[in-house]
Amino acid sequence: MTAGPLTTPVRPAAATRRTYRAGWGWWVAAAVVILPALVPPISLAWQVATRGIGPSIPFPRLLELFGGTLVLTLAVTVTALAIGTGTAWLTTRTNLPARRFWMIVAALPLVIPSYMAALSIIGATGRGGLAETLLGVRIPTPYGFVGAWLALSVFLAPMAHLIVGPGLRAIDPATEEAATGLGASGLRVFFTVTLPQLRPALVSAGLIVGLYTISDFGAVSLMRFDTFTRAIFTLYAGQIDRQPAAALSLLLMILALVILLLERRTRTRAGYQTSSTKRERRPIVMTARQQGGAHLFLGSYALLGLVMPVAVLTFWLTRGLGAGNEIGRLWDEIGRSVGVSVGAAVLAVIASFPVAMVTTWRRRRHLSAAVETTVWSIYSLPHITVGVAVIAFALQLARPLYQTLTLLLLVYVAMFMAQSASTIQDSLIRVSPDLEDASRGLGRNALQTLARVTAPLTRPGILAGAALVFLSVMKELPATLLLRPTGFETLAIRIWSSTAEGFYTRASAASLALLLVSIVPLLVTTHRDLSP
Amino acid sequence: MKRLIAALLAGMMIISACADTDDAEGPLVIYSGRGEELVQPLIDEFEIETGIDVDVRYGESTEMAATLIQEGDGTEADVFYAQDPASLGAVADMMTQLDSSVLDLVDARFADRDGRWVGTSGRIRTFIYHTDTPNELPQTIDDVIDPAWAGQLGVAPTNGSFLAFVSAMILERGEAGTLEWLQALAANDPQDFSGNSPIVDAADSGEIQAGLVNHYYLLRLRAEGEGENAENWFIPAGDVGSLVMPAGVGVLSGTDKPDAAQRFVEFLLSVSSQEYFANETFEFPLIDGVPAAEGLPALDEIAAPDIDLSQLADVLDDATRLVSEAGLI
Repeated sequence: MTAGPLTTPVRPAAATRRTYRAGWGWWVAAAVVILPALVPPISLAWQVATRGIGPSIPFPRLLELFGGTLVLTLAVTVTALAIGTGTAWLTTRTNLPARRFWMIVAALPLVIPSYMAALSIIGATGRGGLAETLLGVRIPTPYGFVGAWLALSVFLAPMAHLIVGPGLRAIDPATEEAATGLGASGLRVFFTVTLPQLRPALVSAGLIVGLYTISDFGAVSLMRFDTFTRAIFTLYAGQIDRQPAAALSLLLMILALVILLLERRTRTRAGYQTSSTKRERRPIVMTARQQGGAHLFLGSYALLGLVMPVAVLTFWLTRGLGAGNEIGRLWDEIGRSVGVSVGAAVLAVIASFPVAMVTTWRRRRHLSAAVETTVWSIYSLPHITVGVAVIAFALQLARPLYQTLTLLLLVYVAMFMAQSASTIQDSLIRVSPDLEDASRGLGRNALQTLARVTAPLTRPGILAGAALVFLSVMKELPATLLLRPTGFETLAIRIWSSTAEGFYTRASAASLALLLVSIVPLLVTTHRDLSP
Repeated sequence: MKRLIAALLAGMMIISACADTDDAEGPLVIYSGRGEELVQPLIDEFEIETGIDVDVRYGESTEMAATLIQEGDGTEADVFYAQDPASLGAVADMMTQLDSSVLDLVDARFADRDGRWVGTSGRIRTFIYHTDTPNELPQTIDDVIDPAWAGQLGVAPTNGSFLAFVSAMILERGEAGTLEWLQALAANDPQDFSGNSPIVDAADSGEIQAGLVNHYYLLRLRAEGEGENAENWFIPAGDVGSLVMPAGVGVLSGTDKPDAAQRFVEFLLSVSSQEYFANETFEFPLIDGVPAAEGLPALDEIAAPDIDLSQLADVLDDATRLVSEAGLI
């Protein structure tokens, strides 16, 4: 099991280099496909530099936003790490029955976008919520910090689960066995031997969860908790002057890039010595009571992260339909969502090929590192900031592209190319360059070799990459909100606007449709991410 | 490999099918600052009635105004339909004068001075109170900051309607006087809410004694069978406490479909649309002969302030600044 790009915005550090030559054509192609990735930061910096920051945001307000973002990020990171480490440890290190089942279940809440998580919390509580209807108690909707924290923690815990799991497996069992042999209790072994070795994985997981939290727009907006992203949208939507939104976007972009760089550093430094002979690990034997506790923990997590959202959505949908509410033209939205997702997936795979080719070549490491950093940088940028930046860019320099589907697809490809590039890299390093050399030797040109030899051999990576991009585009909200062509309402937009206006039947119908459409690509990726 | 290529081609076909929304004439493009759930039924009706194709871009009113300004003359929008006069005023320069046949339908107080936008439905600022409150109801907006309401008053300082109210106050009493009022409000320890609905909920449950909101939230709550313990109070002094904020519509000067745009404006001011506003959104109809929803006074019985709504846009960003200067956000 590898922590694949479903979870990590950074390619696994163990990048093998292949020897097949990446000709200059590949470099040119790579340069062309990463060019759009440079647009958002440059556009924002240019805008702020030339036009100023507009009516400035009062310092206390800025401090408040910073504080809110920081506190939420810390709280979500700690909670998600605690849950994710727990689920990962129980499903990888113990003899818990059905641990394979739990391993998959604990990863699944990841498909639920943060705004859908928020919608399910709103739908479960408050007037007429699931709790009031079923139990007769009205739980006040936890708007603000609590709601945002809950929604993000539960739905980011799988990310920690998927990163910490492989980390746990990489630990040499010899050290733990030695500690146990010397008479240490199970808990003591965990805290004094396992945990310290797990530190690189935990730090990495923490930074990634943190990055997602500062970038999140949907949950904090629907839960009405003020962070940078929400403030950017409030400024963007609530003020005639767009400069303050641009300035705040630039600030948040820089913050995200700093976290990304930190994450990359921890990755390259990570690494513990393992004994050379890999031995089969003996699972930790749990007593019946402990197993009961473990099942309770995993069960409550699944209940909260998976069963509850689906139950709440189904409840609102059936009740709304029963009351004669109309769902509206959901087929149009499904068609648009699937259309752009398939389109972006196809284009991203094509664009990823040159990137994967040059970054897996063993020569010119500096240049290929630059290509890779660019691709990952835009992947890590908060989408709301990308939206603000691209709108200004399109209006000033690319007017024919403004509010077109072409621009939206370009932005999707730029934002999510990292995912497909990484899966294709993974496949590419397993392709023997001899086969390509043989093809060239037999008189095929570079393109023919790509089409007949390289591409077919990297098919698993292509499929996984396409599935990942499909899922990401399907869920994407803030950039779509800002950049969509007029009238181009997707499922994500429908969920967002209907929830914001309090029409939960429609929001629920669109949410369930989104989940259903995501199932097939999800199976492709979980198969890859969770295969042992 | 062949199958993969076939899949790719199928994908591309799906995209182009989606992209293919431009027919020769092109639809009427409306930028709407009003919510889709509210507006789309009207649009559907309009399309059926007239046979005109419509594309709508939904967003916040100010967002759409800022977008129009950013897009400038090249905008593809034909019509701007907004929630408040400030957003309309901000882009008034880009809009063309409306035909007198539509302007004449609506009281001139609820239209642009130069006839570039016209109000389509009325939303009124109101003082909502818990019916058991021991306090005396305010006679002027200055009574609202009376210490009697200390810690008991709900406000939503980031909400667009609150900002429109503050903008109107700037027009009425200047920046210094408005800041003074806002500071007094802040000193009175008001309860912060994120929007109007939760204030109305809290006033109904007695969690707070009163709040500053728009009039229709209580009626929506009552339509759901609650809200019996709260009441709207229209401050009778003729000050901004009972500000009327019409939602309104205008036609962009650059439109290539002036006739279709004009028909949409007429459609919003038709009896059926006005009845829709009165009974579905509980707003005040603005044409003669259509009564407001049950339980509301007639529009002309409300002591609205005498301010020029065309100027609201000029002070909107100042309002945001003053609210944060006073420490409310």
